[in-house]
Amino acid sequence: MHYPRIYPIHDYALTIEFSNLINEASHQQVMQLKREMEDNPFSGYVESVPAYSSLTVYFTAPATAERVMQEMQSRMKSSNTSAVHTASRKIEIPVCYDSSFAIDLEAVMESTGLDHEAIVQMHTANEFNVYMIGFLPGFAYMGTLPAALETARKKTPSTKIPPGSVAIAGKQTGIYPAASPGGWNVIGRTPVRMFDPERPPYSYLQAGDRVQFNPISLSAYESLL
Amino acid sequence: MSVTIIKPGMHSTLQNLGRWGLQAFGIPIGGAMNTESAMTANRLCGNEDDALVVESTLHGLVMEFNDLTVLAITGGGCRLLINGEAAPFNRLIKVIAGSQLKTIPSEKGCRCYVATPGGWKGNTGDVLSASYILSSEATPSTDAAAAIVIGASGFGTGNWKAPEKELPDVHATTTIEIIKGPEWDRFTEDAHHAFLNEPFTVSANSDRMGYRLNGPSLHVIHTQELISTPVTRGIIQVTHEGDPIVLMADAQTIGGYPRIARVSSKDLPLLAQCRPGSRIKFANFFVDIPHPFLGVRM
Repeated sequence: MHYPRIYPIHDYALTIEFSNLINEASHQQVMQLKREMEDNPFSGYVESVPAYSSLTVYFTAPATAERVMQEMQSRMKSSNTSAVHTASRKIEIPVCYDSSFAIDLEAVMESTGLDHEAIVQMHTANEFNVYMIGFLPGFAYMGTLPAALETARKKTPSTKIPPGSVAIAGKQTGIYPAASPGGWNVIGRTPVRMFDPERPPYSYLQAGDRVQFNPISLSAYESLL
Repeated sequence: MSVTIIKPGMHSTLQNLGRWGLQAFGIPIGGAMNTESAMTANRLCGNEDDALVVESTLHGLVMEFNDLTVLAITGGGCRLLINGEAAPFNRLIKVIAGSQLKTIPSEKGCRCYVATPGGWKGNTGDVLSASYILSSEATPSTDAAAAIVIGASGFGTGNWKAPEKELPDVHATTTIEIIKGPEWDRFTEDAHHAFLNEPFTVSANSDRMGYRLNGPSLHVIHTQELISTPVTRGIIQVTHEGDPIVLMADAQTIGGYPRIARVSSKDLPLLAQCRPGSRIKFANFFVDIPHPFLGVRM
């Protein structure tokens, strides 16, 4: 497969895939192209949606798929992909890792061989990159987890994960903004409201943010609610 | 002008052409399942294409008009009765205060759209429950009403008429045109053959987010986790079990299943009129030629 790869997913949307990898370099390219589209939109531009290694651009008349395809190609050629590294927002998110919230703690300890303290230490040691928001409104896909903390998804998804649950799966970590079924392993809970339908832009996090988890006690959690 | 929902039927919501610009926050576009019928209903009323209409699935909707009201109803999935008399689709209808509209079973289509001049007030996606009061800013002008013949029962229709659209019959097989998807080449030859030659049935487990299809299992050559990418209405994803799901209006913004194909946008309104139990067959819309852009084969 040659990259970047451009293809339509609808008459009104084209996807540009920079790679088939989950890494920050590909994601930087995605975010840079997104910023370029927003700073200098073509006529008929609607919005662009970032994912791990791809950007999907939505458009309407007078833009056509052919014209947008050409537009994307010329923008990618002219942009200096290595140079620009714009400042990301740094966001601290308090997380209570108390075992009463860490529904899947036992399973995670068993599959990783780590104790509770080591799991918390690894989850809070480094900043994570927000790759994209999806699955649910406000659900941030973050990474990359240290290899030692990688776990498989649950074979049978939980039917109802409480809102604010902080979970891990594979190289990723995320926060459930609302009660939802889900297959990720829950290791804690945040009092921060991740999605607020009353307050634009609704989602607490956005792609490109850098997130640092801070461990808090159960009483601190309650005081922050 | 106001209307009281007496019974919402199977599922009735307010819809427009969707909320755009928020997908990066994980907020789906939503909007009418059959955008073409929604737009037609609005155009009959002289509205913007994006005005709010009632989308009602199958039958069972009962609404009572508290004032003189002008309406246009498009789509299908039901037959229309106003005060017990058959009423037409695709025309302007005028009803007097106290009239009742009821939708009753039909074997064609799945969703009807009810528009009124000025558009309904509310937000896209609002669910209409019993005793919900619908209203519109505009009062029908007497000029607009002048063209309308008033029947003995208290409703009449104007001369405006939109062309009737083909509606899938529950006893027939509907052909839906597709375009090969970004992961088409990951599927086996058997899967390609089955996908384009065997019928699928819309599962009962289908909704505005997606149509799950029952039929032959479609398998990939190598099971390989895909990196999630944005998805949108019309995309046909295939689960690890080999079951296809066609994403519809309330589709999530990001998906991680291989995309065998997408429904051509021309046939999305037709698919939106297929109901659980409807049989469909996919037909390839484009001949397989190398795509001129960046050497990508579609």
